[in-house]
Amino acid sequence: MKGIMQKRNGLSRLAVMLASAALALLVAAGLVGCGSTSSSGSAAQASGQAGKTLVYGTTGYGVQMDDAGLNPHSAYSGWSAVRYGVGETLFKFSDSMKPEPWLATGYEFTDDTHCLITLRDDVYFSSGRKMDGQAVKECLDDLIATHDRAPSDMKISQVTADGQTVAIETSEPCPALISYLCDPYGAIIDMQAGVTADRNVSGTGPYIADTVTDTEITLHKNESYWGGEPKVDTLVIRSFTDGDTLTSALQSGEVNATYGLPYASYALFQNGSYAISDCYTSRAFFGQFNYASPVGADPAVRQAVAMGIDREGFVDTLLNGRGQVGRGAFPDNLAFGGQTVTVASYDPEGARQVLEQAGWVDTDGDGIREKDGRRLTLRWLTYPGRIELPLLAESAQATLKDIGIDVQVNSSANHVDIRKDASAWDVYVSALVTAPTGDPEYFFASDTLDSSSKNFGGYHSDQLEALYQQLHTTFDTAERAALATRMQQTILDDNGYFFASFLEMGIVSQSNVTGFVAHPCDYYEITADLDIA
Amino acid sequence: MAPAGDDSQAKLEALLQERAQAAEKTVRPQRVRRECTQAKLAVFAALAIVLVVVAACASAVVPYDPYAQNLSQALQAPSLEHLSGTDRYGRDLLSRIIMGGQSSIFSTLELVAAITVVGTAVGLVAGWKGGWVDTLIMRVSDVFLAFPGLVFALAVAGVLGGGLQNAVIALAAISWPKYARIVRGLTLAQKNASYLQAARLSGCTTRQLLVRHVLPNIAGPVLVTAVLDIGTMLMELAGLSFLGLGAQPPLAEWGSMMSDNRNLLQTAPWTVVGPGIAIFITVVVFNLLGDTLRDWIDPEHRSTRTGGQGWFSRRSNRRLVGRAIAATEKGDADASASTRKEHV
Repeated sequence: MKGIMQKRNGLSRLAVMLASAALALLVAAGLVGCGSTSSSGSAAQASGQAGKTLVYGTTGYGVQMDDAGLNPHSAYSGWSAVRYGVGETLFKFSDSMKPEPWLATGYEFTDDTHCLITLRDDVYFSSGRKMDGQAVKECLDDLIATHDRAPSDMKISQVTADGQTVAIETSEPCPALISYLCDPYGAIIDMQAGVTADRNVSGTGPYIADTVTDTEITLHKNESYWGGEPKVDTLVIRSFTDGDTLTSALQSGEVNATYGLPYASYALFQNGSYAISDCYTSRAFFGQFNYASPVGADPAVRQAVAMGIDREGFVDTLLNGRGQVGRGAFPDNLAFGGQTVTVASYDPEGARQVLEQAGWVDTDGDGIREKDGRRLTLRWLTYPGRIELPLLAESAQATLKDIGIDVQVNSSANHVDIRKDASAWDVYVSALVTAPTGDPEYFFASDTLDSSSKNFGGYHSDQLEALYQQLHTTFDTAERAALATRMQQTILDDNGYFFASFLEMGIVSQSNVTGFVAHPCDYYEITADLDIA
Repeated sequence: MAPAGDDSQAKLEALLQERAQAAEKTVRPQRVRRECTQAKLAVFAALAIVLVVVAACASAVVPYDPYAQNLSQALQAPSLEHLSGTDRYGRDLLSRIIMGGQSSIFSTLELVAAITVVGTAVGLVAGWKGGWVDTLIMRVSDVFLAFPGLVFALAVAGVLGGGLQNAVIALAAISWPKYARIVRGLTLAQKNASYLQAARLSGCTTRQLLVRHVLPNIAGPVLVTAVLDIGTMLMELAGLSFLGLGAQPPLAEWGSMMSDNRNLLQTAPWTVVGPGIAIFITVVVFNLLGDTLRDWIDPEHRSTRTGGQGWFSRRSNRRLVGRAIAATEKGDADASASTRKEHV
């Protein structure tokens, strides 16, 4: 018996030793595995090519953003072409969002419907073809023939070319033509080279794409770029759908620079190892009321909601101060920005009074007001694609409850289908770049008129319609700004819309990355100045 | 059937005998261990009751309004003022965790109760009726069991839409077959037992047979399974909420709280750790309660446990519970064979 016990003890000692050895082996393998993962996943080894390589992680590229591919004549893919240094437009926006020559050297309106544009003489496409008037005409003709937004924006009826000059004729006066030519869909590409099956194009930018997929673009530098030789040899644009994953990727060194980090992550990179470049954009987080619903059609409710949302608190706390408080439809850096309009500030007590006077009273003591037996419930439709929107919804839910409004949030990726059903929502809160071309006309034309495709709530104002007709035919910039201010004031006085905040675009990169600067228009990112030490 | 049943019975008896011999070597006498089990049961039951009572009285015991935002207090680290800190909206996390217990624990109890009742009823019908009814019910349950549980729940919750109630329905839809199969097996084991035949001869109706005789005899394993499932279901429910298919903001629920705050994990870890610990404690308490309850209910299992045996033997013992109960309580060889056939 004792012998058996000793044998068992021996066996169990052996088992312990074997287990210890196995554990040690596992730990060693794990450490080796971690090491190799780290190494293989690093940005430096993202490409097998020699020279400087930079990996750029972004939440702004992909199918869900409607900008996959580089063909500027398809949906929002022009944003990708311009953002990633492949395409360039005839004019570009300055930091104050004023159009400046880029591939063009200047322009002249010969009359209300004719514009003469002169082109640079030293620009070549990556296909090797020279960019001349004929190439630009071919590109603009294809743009007008195939794009969904450009024809109605620019109203181009004819383009004629003569050497390094292009003459554009519009079917009606189009004062914002030069601004529209700054839109990424106006990126000039070689139509003779065409668009490849993987949506690659031949542009004039500092980088040339090698491979294009829905999740990644690989580019190499355009050595004959007219603006000087780019400094980075190979560029990898990698799509991330989750901000937290992007945060980890930057921390681990898998990417060198990022766009679209969650606000909460910025604190992790505010040190000497990283650089943050940011600026305000005209991407507004705003709501529009549904005039087809009883609640949305009630002016007192609309006014109370406008007064009951704590915009400052939302920006300062929930966006970590990385945004601009919204007053009107445009950010303060524009001449017709929020500083030019008058809007009710956060005033819960005032909002309560407005509701009281309109007959909305809490009769059953549950904190929510009622009127004619109907509970004051506001169905808030939004979507989670922009991380700011659910935060705004939950913030408003609390502040509006405080004034007696029950907010039922529906944050759904299926918001496009839901908003078509006017009986399913009272207020639709979304994000939109209100001045993509630095001009105010786009927002009013797309969102506020009877003819607007994005006027989902059915807002109507005779005054606004009349002002828009003036804006549409006014060429003077100062006069357009004044009209834009009056138009904003009209929709704000009606409380048909409320504007919560504007996006502060941020590019966070490793400190050895230089020349990566955020721009207010949100689509100038990769330039020839980009470098990595 | 009979020889195979005798053979298996003999093997089972040999196995039990071997374990009984092993039990003799244990230092603690069985009586002490039985008392210890009872003490453990009392402790874990008390802890579970505390959790349930705190959840039930959540609105009365929370130090702050769990839904009141105070942006000036956002992301405060744990302090005497806010013991678990605050979230990005300045809401007191301890209050939200306590209130979250209400939605998390009661939704889980509701879910487990629903699947236990439905699964038991279905399994009872299948086992008692037999024939095409049994075949039909079992094939339907096979279909449900053929899919990976949480994946199937995700699909169901996706179709039903977000909301805690929909998440409960989704999990209930995938979880009842387990109970149906267990109860069916136990019912088959009891169906031809001598005592039931005696009861039948004494004039009991089918309803009386099922309610007075079968159900009390199969309740033990079902109850143990249900209690052990509370932890699992709580985690699955929290998982669905974490993925956005369960509780919707601003409802305080542990899974959705962790999801809402996951991007603060590095900068404000307390926002995630708090609800995580709450889930951990609740799951551990209910799992230990289930485990102890099983030990307490199952005298055979208790007598074969040895002090030095660990998790592996407890797992194998758990597998034996159904068989041991059927084989030892009434000593019916056919019933034992039927049980084995259904459980293996």
